[in-house]
Amino acid sequence: MKTDILDRLESTAAKYNKKTVFTDETGSISFCELLDKAKRLGSALCKKVSAGSAVAVMSGRNVLTPVTFIGIVYAGCYYAPMDASQPEDRLKNILKVLKPPVLVADKDNADKAKALGFEGEILLSDDFFESDIDDDALALRRERMCIDDPLYVIFTSGSTGNPKGVITSKLSLCCYIDAYREVMGIDDSDILGNQSPLDYIAAIRDIYLPIFTGASMYIIPKQCFVMPAELFKTLNDKRITSVGWSVSVFTIAVKVGAFDGAKPEFLKKICFSGSVMPCNVLRVWQENLPGAKFVNQYGPTECTASCTYYEVDHVVADDEVLPIGKPYSNYRVFLLSEDNRAVPDGEMGEICVSGPIVALGYYNAPELTAKTFIQDPLNTLYREIIYKTGDYGTFREDGVLLFNGRKDRQIKHLGHRVELGEIEGTALRLENVKECCALYQKEKELIYLFYTGDASVKEIAGFLRGVLPGFMVPRKLIALDEMPRLANGKTDMQTLKEYFK
Amino acid sequence: MKEQLMEILEELRPDVDFEAEKQLITDGVLDSFDIVSLVGSLNDEFDIEIQVGNLVPDNFNSIEGMMALIEKLQDED
Repeated sequence: MKTDILDRLESTAAKYNKKTVFTDETGSISFCELLDKAKRLGSALCKKVSAGSAVAVMSGRNVLTPVTFIGIVYAGCYYAPMDASQPEDRLKNILKVLKPPVLVADKDNADKAKALGFEGEILLSDDFFESDIDDDALALRRERMCIDDPLYVIFTSGSTGNPKGVITSKLSLCCYIDAYREVMGIDDSDILGNQSPLDYIAAIRDIYLPIFTGASMYIIPKQCFVMPAELFKTLNDKRITSVGWSVSVFTIAVKVGAFDGAKPEFLKKICFSGSVMPCNVLRVWQENLPGAKFVNQYGPTECTASCTYYEVDHVVADDEVLPIGKPYSNYRVFLLSEDNRAVPDGEMGEICVSGPIVALGYYNAPELTAKTFIQDPLNTLYREIIYKTGDYGTFREDGVLLFNGRKDRQIKHLGHRVELGEIEGTALRLENVKECCALYQKEKELIYLFYTGDASVKEIAGFLRGVLPGFMVPRKLIALDEMPRLANGKTDMQTLKEYFK
Repeated sequence: MKEQLMEILEELRPDVDFEAEKQLITDGVLDSFDIVSLVGSLNDEFDIEIQVGNLVPDNFNSIEGMMALIEKLQDED
């Protein structure tokens, strides 16, 4: 198994050469240009940082961003993408955890990067792409690479308010991409349609499938996902054959009646993930795209984007609940009871994962890592690290896994992981918010924040928007005179849920 | 009509200055979820039926764009 990403890129580039690998709204790049530019950026970076350094990246939604990532890999380093559209506060928190020696920004984001008060050096990717290739320096870095080197650090919501950086190795990535490719049947004839922000975990498919298979990828403009008619038009204009999108995109298209207009004509391979797919939505897609393959994927960032998949083999009924399916190859998925025992088929337990796809841990957070990535309690004979997902599941007798919800207060909202506790912690930073409780109304996909104190709705909403990513800002803010309480003094969340309008 | 519209928008997104923002869609101020609820509210409030073909950035980038769309759809009735 070739597990070096650069080896794979180089053999794909040798075969496909001038074929387009990535396209965005304004330009495109071929396999050989990708290779060339990545080597240039890598060479320049070798002069700035030692091998094995973390490199923060602030780069736009365009074809050069994945090239920057690969360039960093050429320099023997790992990348940590940061979405420049996130509030400054959050970006600063990420830098505080990551402490990278350098930050690579493109020209559109350089000013924003400078405003973060970053202590290391800010490097301009546009300049680096023009540097000369230093084959000797790259070869030296290459000699020391290992398959379990970190590839990237991707930050997700943490319940304490500090973002958690999940570290994924090159080996883990190869395992996942190979498994996904096999399930979806992706080959060099495919054109992928990217939805996920490039700094987000789901984008790894869109970036690495072309590098591994010779397929092409189109970065769909963000505004298409707000305007479904434009989305369908783009899918047809760009002849997109395969997508891996969050469930919310499918839901919204159905809600606004997107199938009344032109239908996607070329789309054949569809994977959805991020939250539970409502079957009344899936049925509409299935009826409109009768020849297409639909796959439900489940899994957290800590297990390299996924764990299990379920290929839907029939047109679903509205009241059906989709299983999350079977483990991908090289994923070991099993259930543990509260007291860490094995769970028989048909009974519910916590979904746990082990294998080469388990993350290397949380970055610069040894305590949290030790608490979350633990020795398999069922294995007393040798070291086997597992990740407990915090999700409940049940295995059917045929080995298919069913999803039974969450153990804690983490929710999935518009495809993103959100810790309700993080929203509360942030709101409480306002002096005139006394108490608060964030809750999720799943059916309407609305985050509510109930609060006491004399802050106005506008004030809280404005503050939260300045600190949290947009998807985490509650859409409904409700002021209460007093929080309803349980006998033990804790907030009565059930009563609050009755206040959902 | 503008007052009714502003009321809907402020209820939807109390944190946005709708008078000032002229690129609500292009700049990603409104997300897909906002659009779904907005379409529902506009349909009810103004007795119109916004079709999927009306969902283009020009019609939703600013309050002016939205008012023009509402007027157009009301005239069609």
